[in-house]
Amino acid sequence: MLIKVPSVANLGLETIGVDVEVNLANRGLPGFVIVGLPDKAVDESKERVRAAVSSSGIDFPAKKITVNLAPADVPKEGSLYDLPIAVGILSSILQFVIPEKSLFLGELSLDGSLRHTKGALLMALFAKEAGFENLYVPKDSANEAAAIKGIKVFPVENLFQISSHFLKKKNIEQITYQEIKDNLPVPAEFDMKEVLGQEQAKRAVEIAAAGGHNILMVGSPGSGKTMLARALPGIMPPLNERESLEVTKIYSVSGSIPPGGSLITCRQFRAPHHTASPVGLIGGGTRPHPGEISLAHRGVLFLDEFNEFPRSVLEAMRQPLEDGYLTISRSKERVKYPAEFMLVASANPCPCGYLNHPKKNCICSPQQVRKYQKRVSGPILDRIDLHISVQPVDTMEFSENQRNSESLESSERIRERVILAREKQEKRFGEDSVQSNAQMKNVHVKKYCNLTKEIEQLLRQASMKFQLSARSYMKMIKVARTIADLDGAEEINISHMAESLQYRSKIYETA
Amino acid sequence: MENIVKIENKKYPELLRKIGKEAPKKLYYKGNWNMDIFENCLAVVGSRHLTSYGRKITEQFVTEIAAAGITIVSGFMYGGDEAAHKATVEAGGRTIAVMPCGIDMIHPEYQEELYNKILENKGLIISEYEGNFPPANWTYPKRNRIVAGLSKAVLVVEAGLNSGTLITTDYAGKFGRKIFAVPGPITSEVSRGTAKLIKEGAEVVTSVKDILDFYKIIPSKKSVENSSQLAGRGLTNDLEKRIVEQLQKEPLEVNNLARLLNMPVSKIGTTLSLMQLKGFINQEAGKYYVD
Repeated sequence: MLIKVPSVANLGLETIGVDVEVNLANRGLPGFVIVGLPDKAVDESKERVRAAVSSSGIDFPAKKITVNLAPADVPKEGSLYDLPIAVGILSSILQFVIPEKSLFLGELSLDGSLRHTKGALLMALFAKEAGFENLYVPKDSANEAAAIKGIKVFPVENLFQISSHFLKKKNIEQITYQEIKDNLPVPAEFDMKEVLGQEQAKRAVEIAAAGGHNILMVGSPGSGKTMLARALPGIMPPLNERESLEVTKIYSVSGSIPPGGSLITCRQFRAPHHTASPVGLIGGGTRPHPGEISLAHRGVLFLDEFNEFPRSVLEAMRQPLEDGYLTISRSKERVKYPAEFMLVASANPCPCGYLNHPKKNCICSPQQVRKYQKRVSGPILDRIDLHISVQPVDTMEFSENQRNSESLESSERIRERVILAREKQEKRFGEDSVQSNAQMKNVHVKKYCNLTKEIEQLLRQASMKFQLSARSYMKMIKVARTIADLDGAEEINISHMAESLQYRSKIYETA
Repeated sequence: MENIVKIENKKYPELLRKIGKEAPKKLYYKGNWNMDIFENCLAVVGSRHLTSYGRKITEQFVTEIAAAGITIVSGFMYGGDEAAHKATVEAGGRTIAVMPCGIDMIHPEYQEELYNKILENKGLIISEYEGNFPPANWTYPKRNRIVAGLSKAVLVVEAGLNSGTLITTDYAGKFGRKIFAVPGPITSEVSRGTAKLIKEGAEVVTSVKDILDFYKIIPSKKSVENSSQLAGRGLTNDLEKRIVEQLQKEPLEVNNLARLLNMPVSKIGTTLSLMQLKGFINQEAGKYYVD
């Protein structure tokens, strides 16, 4: 007797339908085989299914069981086929019919209960596209699948429960689409008002958040670079619906959504340590997985101690920084992951860290400084829109009133301005492929950034004086656009452009 | 042919011969050995870790001194030496670099451009070591005696305590040469050495005139003009004037300026950018200063 149970396979962020064909033959020695390019996790599924079926109080049939995962030439991985295989076997023993237009996914535990399994959201999206209606997923993954409108999601707790459901003894309560509306920022480690002084750096961080610009902070140890970066989540705008889905897809496929979790609505803040491997940061592996840059999609990738990262790792970021996505090619497959992130980098000016420090003396020779700064290549620095130097603050310089953190602006207020600026951008770009000023391509710059003769002259003057590359020339216009948006202005004026010049100082020699 | 001048040669600089038995027996050189280059020499030495103040003073002083025809002698190290050589060649003056290593080496090697410029401007590279003799800890202080020995006077812009610069002034004192020291903030690590020199009787320098007087050169009119009066011309608005006022006191960061003038940092930044483009002010290492 042959039973077909539909499920899915994920190739990167693409999903294809997979038929789990289960055949129980009366002839031949009892056995259990899975074919159709299963990986180790899929193959071990046999043992989990056998134990789970027995634990549910059902005798495991002493028959020759063959499971085929069709199409048989696509490699399958992961533990999601436990449930479809078990359902196939049970439907044969208990004689129930699997309803049409249903998809199954879930990992079994030996006691017959279902565990949180990655990829539920992708399956739900596929279901909607391919016309499936019912989704049977583990209870812990149900919220994730329910993030898609128009699909019935059945949260399954264990094998016994799903058999009772199909035998029409006791129904599983289905859950439907729930709109998630929360506008709360991610709790940040610091509030902006805790950062004393550093007015320019704060302003630059605000601009970066408002336009999605990359930013590099260079300064001595203890000057507050890390603190500013860590305060950043508190001023980031929320994700819109489309962005939220994009981000959740990546997290779903990498299995990073916690049990019971649903759509990700706040921008992610990723801060990998500098010992990260190229694959860990960029993504890859034999079955290409998303790396930190993709997990930071639409969010922040914070690289502390920027020039301690291996050069190969940093150079590998060049292309995604420019394109906003990354294609990982392997002999068997090609996977495209989005990586539209905002790079926040911090670095010391020299090996000892005290170059240009107001109090301490730097003990590095110019050659050491040069060597240190050269660890970050020009092309990478050229891709960073805002460069600022962050020098230690002398608290003695502040008056009692200035030192009082209540007088400083809180993250919440800055965030309001950032949100307004982002709304302006969203409205402006409308149906265009870009969503923030930083992503604008040259066409968009031409279309949305009208420069008066006076501004163009200023820019030409500046690019001669500071020897700007064509790319950084464009970047300055984009930064000026964001400053104008923060200002609530329709057009860029000369003071917006002049301010944007501030953030292009040559801190690093190679810049 | 090898360029050597031995001590018994009459082309050997007279001042250097006068230092007695410490005078090097022979000098290797690169460039054009011309006797009049040794006539009026001033050693300009300073810390390897010059502050922006030190660099600015070195540039300003050396430019005018070199323009007055005085040869600037220094040790080709990075920091103070490099600033002195660079300012001289930029002013089109002549300079002598005394190397701590063999004459065929350039040390530090990344200063090759400066090395070539010194030669292009009819300057001299000299060393008491031949060929590719590597620099060593003991060659730096020995080199300093030649720097002091060649010069009528030594100008110290910035120096730490226990620094090579103070070794040079020790030699200068021993050889009976004049020592000029530029005062700096007493809190600065690299002004401790100059403070010590002043206490011990070095002459305090506050303007180029102090040095030119010693060489009995009458400064050209332009050089006495105070640079701070030059700045401030063509300023269009009140804010620009207030910024220049602050920057004339000391170089400042944007943040300090914003705090002092009690204005938003974005506004100050905008103004600074425009002023920088117009050439009123300059920026180095995050601090703005008036040229």
